[in-house]
Amino acid sequence: MYSGQHLRVSDAEREAVTDRLAEHFAAGRLGQAEFDDRVERAISARTRADLSGLLAGLPGTGTPAGPELPRGGGSAPGSPIDFRLDAASGVPTYLQLVHQVEHALRLGYLKPGDQLPKVRDVVASLAINPNTVLKAYKELEVKGLTAGRPGQGTFIQATLGQVALPELAGLHKALLGWLGTADAAGLDEDGMVALFTSALRDFYERRGGAGTRRGAASGNTEGVA
Amino acid sequence: MTALTMPARPKHDVGLRPVPWRRMAWATWRQHRAALAGVAVFLGASAVYLWVTGLQMHHAEAASCHPASSVACAINFTGRYGETAIMVSVALQAVPALIGAFIGAPVLARELETGTFRYAWTQGIGRLRWTVGKLVLLAVAAAAAAGAFTVLFAWYNQPWAAAGYVTPFSARVFGLLGVAFAAWTLAAFAIGVLAGMLIRRAVPAIAATLAAYAGLAFATALWLREHYITPLVTRSQYPPGSAWAISGWYTKGGTFAFGDHGSGIADTVRQLCGGPCSGTRVLVPELLAQHGYTHWTSYQPGSRFWPFQWIEGGWLLALSVLLIAATVWLVRRRAA
Amino acid sequence: MNIVEASGLGKRYGGTWALRECTLAIPAGHVAALVGPNGAGKTTLLNLAVGLAEPTAGGVTVLGGLAAGSAAALDGTAFVAQDTPVYRNLSAADMLHLTRNLNRRFDQPYAQARLGELGIPLNRKAGRLSGGQRAQLALTLALARRPRLLVLDEPVAMLDPVARHDFMALVMTAMAAEGVSVVLSSHVLADLERVADYLVLLSRGRVQVAGEVAGLLASHRLLTGPTAEADRYADRPVVHVRRGGAQAHLLVRATADDPVPPSWEAHPIGLEELTLAYLREPGAGALPGPARGQRAPHSEVTR
Repeated sequence: MYSGQHLRVSDAEREAVTDRLAEHFAAGRLGQAEFDDRVERAISARTRADLSGLLAGLPGTGTPAGPELPRGGGSAPGSPIDFRLDAASGVPTYLQLVHQVEHALRLGYLKPGDQLPKVRDVVASLAINPNTVLKAYKELEVKGLTAGRPGQGTFIQATLGQVALPELAGLHKALLGWLGTADAAGLDEDGMVALFTSALRDFYERRGGAGTRRGAASGNTEGVA
Repeated sequence: MTALTMPARPKHDVGLRPVPWRRMAWATWRQHRAALAGVAVFLGASAVYLWVTGLQMHHAEAASCHPASSVACAINFTGRYGETAIMVSVALQAVPALIGAFIGAPVLARELETGTFRYAWTQGIGRLRWTVGKLVLLAVAAAAAAGAFTVLFAWYNQPWAAAGYVTPFSARVFGLLGVAFAAWTLAAFAIGVLAGMLIRRAVPAIAATLAAYAGLAFATALWLREHYITPLVTRSQYPPGSAWAISGWYTKGGTFAFGDHGSGIADTVRQLCGGPCSGTRVLVPELLAQHGYTHWTSYQPGSRFWPFQWIEGGWLLALSVLLIAATVWLVRRRAA
Repeated sequence: MNIVEASGLGKRYGGTWALRECTLAIPAGHVAALVGPNGAGKTTLLNLAVGLAEPTAGGVTVLGGLAAGSAAALDGTAFVAQDTPVYRNLSAADMLHLTRNLNRRFDQPYAQARLGELGIPLNRKAGRLSGGQRAQLALTLALARRPRLLVLDEPVAMLDPVARHDFMALVMTAMAAEGVSVVLSSHVLADLERVADYLVLLSRGRVQVAGEVAGLLASHRLLTGPTAEADRYADRPVVHVRRGGAQAHLLVRATADDPVPPSWEAHPIGLEELTLAYLREPGAGALPGPARGQRAPHSEVTR
């Protein structure tokens, strides 16, 4: 709904729009003539561009009357998170968004059913290419974490595999032990990080290096100085 | 990769789309409001002045004594209003130049100078319609204002013309009467517009316009105008009525002797008298006539006033159209 | 659909070719960044695309085959030139009215709403607005025309960081909501990766690199390894070399699938670094179609 204006729409999308129009008409926000006109256009819509203006000017829809700068921050009312961008980190923008969603999921800020910020709001607050946001959301969908609902937005539909708390504590302790050994061997902080990152990459490459994991790993690689 | 499927040189639109005149009128007015208002104020003030002094003159003429009736009245009239009238007519000669320079020259020069053409020529209206609309509207407005002004001036000038003090052919007033004033204004505008497009800077374009206009106006008044129609020739000393005497000369025995200007008359008279003439006062023309010299005057009769007006108006109009067309052609072709 | 297509496009001013043999096909729905040093031909290319200049050679079409500068192209294209021209003696409200008069399509409520949000007073003469406000005004006028292609020539060069962010946010939002395609030129590389997803690199009037950013980044790797072996590396085309005494970096045209020689490490590369490397190697190129610049000259860079 937010790009690919030349793409054809499905019956489901047409129906979604007409349902919303019916809601607004019932609520008295649309006059009869206007409602009839918009429904007719929705039914005969063939591409996304045709559908994009039909919910214009109506509250609570995904397509307001025109590009807007929302007030204060990149989240629509209703999205628990707000994205940030670290321009200097060297990590591709779309990956930063993906990681922030995953991170928020892990920490419990996002739960299944929550809505991710609308593309337009992200774009307006971060001034990034909307295709980047779409790429990030697509990546999350491919990972099975989110699902898009036409006309409404993108919603969390699953959680990341949760590791039980005692197991987490045990892993943490083991890691501290490793860090102590590395420190005794003379590695400084950057050296530890570099070594860990390299080992992480090797681990997943050996695992089979399929699809998403490799993408994430290659994005995270830092140069060895 | 998408295959490239385009011709080597895409063709442009053939033909001109119709100009949205009302929209361009608003756009032109709003953009040039200051200059147009300035000119309007100037013309308005001049009109008020003409009206006031004109009323005075007409009252004086009608009420007390008619200048044509007696010499005393004539002297009285010219003494009171003569100088002013001359100054006014001379000052008004500059009006077309000012309109051309300050309205015509900046129209395109400012756009090019400030870079706003990058806005104006990329709007949906397209650069041709924008240019044609703007230039035609301004040209018509300038010519119409000048035409209205001519009516006022003709009324102002009427006492002088009626008394015969100034022939309508006089260089001082010919360009202000009839259709000439509007035509000169239009021509000045066209010169200004082309100068602006060629020079691309407002101030030099204004200067160039004033210079070019002055050159053309002087050349026409001093030389070109008298040749519109072959002048008539008469033997009488002074051509009839409101004719325009162009030049005079003497012939003897069918051949040219000497002209009115220059030392020809003085030399011949001295010759005939055998020295400086003295004794009974004899008028030079009679003296020369006695000795077989015939005087000829070439002139344009008063009846040719309107044909001359149409001729002058005609070629000025043609020139204006040519210059504006050249400007539009340049706009079409000119790269960024 | 290709939003901008050029075929052998060239422009000569006097005796100098500002742009030469430019062949491009920028797809719609992208933000295409035109990058290059000053005098590389960016403004010339943009002027040709919006019809402000006539090509000396070749041709350019926009919006899927419309002749640049034709009535239909002007209708669907909005251009904001480098110094964001607006008439200084007109107020913002006047500029809105004027733009409405000069175009078939103009969204007045949208324009007024945007100007209101940006805090640009409608009744002040444009000459008395700040540079950033004038730029925003020019952009708002362009977007209110509801174009399908937005062309921006160095739009943020004169803006402070906040104004720059707001400007790009407005552009990106328009793209998100309306599907406007954007072609913008910039010689500031730092913000590019965030904004651009198609890159055209111009150098000395010629197209050196053209392609989707994702594809370009995926097809280049930075190899780090011993300087002694740097010259012997011939597995993949080398674009640019940076040598130290013991360690060297090679920018090569390779993907993540290509094998990395032992004792070498491969990293992905960012857009800014990629662009700079190509700008330093005028002989190298990365154009769609048959591979060019297979073996680019090395350059000596001492640390």
